[in-house]
Amino acid sequence: MTNDPLSTPDQHLCSDHGGENPTVWDLPQVPLGLKREWLELETRRHFLGKGVKALGWAGLATLLGRSAPTAFANASAGGAGPALFPNYAPKAKRAIYLFMAGSPSQFETWDYKPALARMFDQDLPESVRGGQTLTGMTASQVRFPIAPSLYKFAQHGKSGHWVSELFPYTAKVADELCVLKSLHTEAINHEPAILQITTGNMFPGRPSLGAWLSYGLGAMNEELPTFVVMTSKMPHRTNVQALSNRLWSSGFLSPEHAAVALRAGSDPVLHLNNPTGIGGDVRRAMIDGVNDLNRQLFERVGDPEINARISQYEMAFRMQTSVPELADFSNEPQSTWDLYGPKAKEPGTFAYNCLMARRLAERGVRFTQVFLRSWDQHSNLPVNIKLMAEDSDRPTYALLTDLKRRGLLDDTLVVWGGEFGRTCYSQGTLRPDNYGRDHHPRCFSMWMAGGGVKPGISYGETDDFSYNIARDPVHIRDLHATMLHLFGIDHSKLTYKHLGLDQKLTGVLPSQVIHDILA
Amino acid sequence: MTSSLKLFAVAAVFGGAVAGRAEVTFYQARIAPTLDRHCVACHGADKQKARLRLDTLEQIRRGSETGAVLKDGDLKASELFRRITLPKDHEDVMPSDGKPLLTAAEIKNIELWIAGGASATKGMADFPDAPAITRASIPVIPLAPDWRPRAAEIAALEKSLGIRLVPRSQVPTDGLVVRTASSPGRCDDAVLEKLAPVSGLIVEAELARTKITDAGLATLAGWENLRLLDLTRTAVTSRGLAAVAQSRRLEALNLTDTGIDDAGAAELKKIPTLQRVWWFGTKVTPVETPKPVKAAHE
Repeated sequence: MTNDPLSTPDQHLCSDHGGENPTVWDLPQVPLGLKREWLELETRRHFLGKGVKALGWAGLATLLGRSAPTAFANASAGGAGPALFPNYAPKAKRAIYLFMAGSPSQFETWDYKPALARMFDQDLPESVRGGQTLTGMTASQVRFPIAPSLYKFAQHGKSGHWVSELFPYTAKVADELCVLKSLHTEAINHEPAILQITTGNMFPGRPSLGAWLSYGLGAMNEELPTFVVMTSKMPHRTNVQALSNRLWSSGFLSPEHAAVALRAGSDPVLHLNNPTGIGGDVRRAMIDGVNDLNRQLFERVGDPEINARISQYEMAFRMQTSVPELADFSNEPQSTWDLYGPKAKEPGTFAYNCLMARRLAERGVRFTQVFLRSWDQHSNLPVNIKLMAEDSDRPTYALLTDLKRRGLLDDTLVVWGGEFGRTCYSQGTLRPDNYGRDHHPRCFSMWMAGGGVKPGISYGETDDFSYNIARDPVHIRDLHATMLHLFGIDHSKLTYKHLGLDQKLTGVLPSQVIHDILA
Repeated sequence: MTSSLKLFAVAAVFGGAVAGRAEVTFYQARIAPTLDRHCVACHGADKQKARLRLDTLEQIRRGSETGAVLKDGDLKASELFRRITLPKDHEDVMPSDGKPLLTAAEIKNIELWIAGGASATKGMADFPDAPAITRASIPVIPLAPDWRPRAAEIAALEKSLGIRLVPRSQVPTDGLVVRTASSPGRCDDAVLEKLAPVSGLIVEAELARTKITDAGLATLAGWENLRLLDLTRTAVTSRGLAAVAQSRRLEALNLTDTGIDDAGAAELKKIPTLQRVWWFGTKVTPVETPKPVKAAHE
């Protein structure tokens, strides 16, 4: 009973609690080291509370805005400053991540397995499966019949990449691709898997990759968000997984590092436009008033979250100008529409979003994540994957081609892939012209292009059943470490203190940069 | 029957080498990556010089058109080992054609592996003396003088000109980037002139959508350490490129959606260091992105 913090009689007054609740200091089970950390934090808040009066608002804003040379100079002089990145000159200044949510089968896309053609309807050898626990969706199947890809492959380009006939457009830019065939993950269901690949952890609440980049590198364009997310209209809707802002949140980082989700249509950012009858000057006055109140609160309690709120109001105000310009495609030349195709004119399609991603890249947005859902083909795979591939193929090709001809591909990393792989065996009845595939975490394929990645190569191999990795496994941690490396960041140094730990995108388990795919 | 036998064989081969199930073998961890790095481009699935493939252990054992290249446990009789240990200028040395030779650590790993029987199954623990293969760290080449002594001046210029001067990295001799993406409209020829005091520190100039004209390009010609120049969607023309052509270190030039034409493209041939140039959306023929003029720093 005496350990119950709520019953502790000794009330420790504290700046941000007003004394109404006990603090960490009151908890007997908390180690002394952590309590000291708490005290230091508290001292820092008091300092900020006073410091703001001495420095004046403008001085503090500059510090938070981290004008880079000043920040670097502070740090090299041993003074306090934000974390300093890049550690080395980056190859990638920005990235566009084409996220194929639901997970495309590797068999029909990027992991060509010709030997399977002769094994139609044979049982997957138990030695390959190796006693693996399957999902509840196929664990009770009596047989695990091998389902070869119904789609043919051919080699393309100088690289000789084997490309599925489902991707005739992407095949034209095969030589730009670095195909990774040996990704693996622990997660076997969508939500944990997609969280792991977007945030580095299966559990919700961690900052996503884009938020880490925003935190580490800051903005290139202050008028637009550093991290933008778009979801796309689907060509069909089967087994569609929900997407939520957990996937693009700032987690324990300051909220301004979370993505801004752009919506389809004339109002890309919800509630951004002024209501009818409210002019820009009225809005400005309103924001100034709210900021004044927030500043007063900040002077009193010194909570950095208040500054985050102020900066978000300011960002929203700036976006009232920058977003309409961004979303106005009327100045795109005919060559753009010839390249991306007619669907690019329809807001919210994957084609439209890919064109938007190029416009964001041009304007210096660091990280754009475009989601395309409905790749989760447990049944009727041949039909549905064709629909999905058709939707994804041309815009992807167009984006790579457009970035390349405009000189953006060299420093823009493009990634295409889902959250896990799919099974070699058919889920449900295997027919000569139809089958399904269950989730498979042990291996899956993705590709990267541009941004300092070696073009025209493939990395990693799976066995003849694309069931296990035969060589050069790439864990999601390795993927993240490699992506950060391309941005000039040493993944072991990009940390944020939270829950008493130096938290990292790549977590605490060993991870490595895949040097063999770096240009 | 045959196919099920084959199935079994495949399963057996991969059974011991699966990530997360068994320990990675020494061959997988040290030998295959080394051969991939140095040999497989010419001796692999795509190309088989001397009809030799070194991309799988099975292929290595098959040898080349002149016979076996590997004798288990016998370094002297292993042609593969002899070739990689020859002096740099020897006619038979591998990799050939002046490509980088294997490092001492890589050779030592191959030596231990062959001496130990060229095993497909031995693990890392069987080779306790194998040195770690580390990649040569890229030497730091100073691109510009250390900017730190000028930090105050840089901060003042940022403030007065409404642009950013961002260090490319923590390495203080990696130079600065001129960044205008937040408000390209504020950056014009006059702003470039005002950057003269720090122009020697600038390695990249991101000037897309700015109000730069040909007059500004004349200013840029004096930025001695400039490597990358992005002039996308500016009003520059071929006339202005004559000044840029005097650049001594420029490696990448983006002229997308500018007013240049073939005359300007011809000027660019005068820049010996230029490796990458883009002129999509201009009157230059052909409109295809040109091949690198010259790989100056490869």
